[in-house]
Amino acid sequence: MDKIISLEGIHFQYHPLDPVVLSDLSLDIPSQKVTAILGPNGTGKTTLLHILLGLLKPSQGNTWVAGKEHREYSRRQLSRLIGLVPQFESIPFNFTVYEYTLMGRSPYLNPFQLPGNTDHEIACQSLEAAGILHLAEKPVMEISGGERQLVHIARVFTQGTPILLLDEPTAHLDLQNQNRILSLLKKMAAGGATTVMTTHDPNAAIYAADYFVLMNRGQIAAAGPIEEVITAENLSAIYQTPIRVEKGNGYVMVVMDKERMQ
Amino acid sequence: MFLASLLIGRYPEPFWMPLRVLRDDPLARQLVLKLRLPRLITALLLGMVLSAAGSALQMIFRNPLVEPGFLGVSQGAAFGAAVSILWLNRHPLVIELSATVFSLLALAGAYFLSTRIRYGGWVLRLILSGVAVSALFSAGVGVLKYIADPLTELPELTFWMLGGLYSVTWRDLAFVLPFALPGIGVAYLMRWRVNLLSLNDETAFSLGASLGRERLILLLFTVSATAALTAISGIIGWIGLIIPHIARRIFGASAEKSLPAAMLLGGLFSMIADDLARTLLPGEIPLGILTSAIGAILFIYLMISLGIKVRSHG
Repeated sequence: MDKIISLEGIHFQYHPLDPVVLSDLSLDIPSQKVTAILGPNGTGKTTLLHILLGLLKPSQGNTWVAGKEHREYSRRQLSRLIGLVPQFESIPFNFTVYEYTLMGRSPYLNPFQLPGNTDHEIACQSLEAAGILHLAEKPVMEISGGERQLVHIARVFTQGTPILLLDEPTAHLDLQNQNRILSLLKKMAAGGATTVMTTHDPNAAIYAADYFVLMNRGQIAAAGPIEEVITAENLSAIYQTPIRVEKGNGYVMVVMDKERMQ
Repeated sequence: MFLASLLIGRYPEPFWMPLRVLRDDPLARQLVLKLRLPRLITALLLGMVLSAAGSALQMIFRNPLVEPGFLGVSQGAAFGAAVSILWLNRHPLVIELSATVFSLLALAGAYFLSTRIRYGGWVLRLILSGVAVSALFSAGVGVLKYIADPLTELPELTFWMLGGLYSVTWRDLAFVLPFALPGIGVAYLMRWRVNLLSLNDETAFSLGASLGRERLILLLFTVSATAALTAISGIIGWIGLIIPHIARRIFGASAEKSLPAAMLLGGLFSMIADDLARTLLPGEIPLGILTSAIGAILFIYLMISLGIKVRSHG
């Protein structure tokens, strides 16, 4: 496997008095693929994403990104390498979709610099690639949840990073919008981007991902291709619910096993 | 507007000095050059600094209802001035220095306190600390007022607290400039970047912002400019709150345009307010009272007719 991110022996807690969130976690993430990190709520998926980003520093263990350790990169170098779509983004001011998307150019500008013509062009192209150029002048907080998720993705396109982290990108979205987001992720991977998404929904993961990581209680329960990871035994164990994996003509689907439920 | 303001006043008669008088009357010339000009420049700077600081703080704190008085800066300055009037020296320069020192102390205190609080995000911690530090200093001011000599010290203290530019000289201005200009300059230069600082911490971080450092630089420059001006003007409320609002409403949310616009509008606003303070009555109306009155009326108007949007979730 051609890996772009490597975690080794990661141990993390928010405060020495708080419970341990991640313990002795090691993981490789394949290059130019969509990796889905699956697991129940509160199992440390977002924390893991923030460690990949460099926002949180593990108390033990090392993170390698594109062949170098995290701490060898400057803030700005890292922000040209890894982009993030967070799970929640509250925007207190009425920025337009365009103004918000343009902020993706920050890694290429110093704090006193204004975006130039090239930056504006890239922002327009990104909005077009995400299919939301027509929303450019609308305030971000006044569009639908699905459109807002596309705006976040357009902002990350503008950032132009080879690695994209998405935290629960399809949570709270209807099926049509899930489809729009996940198809876009597949297209990005096809274009050479490495995409890592967290999700608590196995079916969303199956739809978009090439590589699967199952997390449970701050540790990796399984990692690998779909047939190794997405099994009834694995899923039933970590979600503590009887689960069946249905395979049909070209599709795999995870369903709750009603017959075995109490 | 600036030139017109030079000619507005109560000499030789209320409201307007004809150019002919300026040419022929040496007293009029003296008055315009030695009193009105420095005062006007100070009024302009005051409005610009308060609006720039207001815009920057609102972005940094992700809250459109924040203003420069927020971090204990105003109360710290008031306390410093009171200490100086009571115990040190009533020389204007000493009052200014003491007010500046105490407001920076208040900021440092609030900042230090915020690093010691263990719960809540960065913004909540700093706001809580600011409230606590403000309360401490305003209690201190209360004590000083109580023990002040009611015949000599109390009137001066009270007038200073109401705010006004009645005593500004070129020398005061010379002391203020080294703080005011860098404050305005840094806010202006960071006018696009400050948008980034209003996003979620994790998003701003992923976009390459060194959050702590950039916020601290912006805070330090805008607050020390505010403190220096507060030291000569007294507490002038509402400009830092209401002007950035109006600027955002006209020029959009992005600070790239709305921050410079707020600075211009703020300068204009405080110049006009000061013209009114000088001219309306034979005696001077304290500027702080005027800006509060106008600011509050504008605020009520904006709230009722246009709806100021405050989003508190997240």
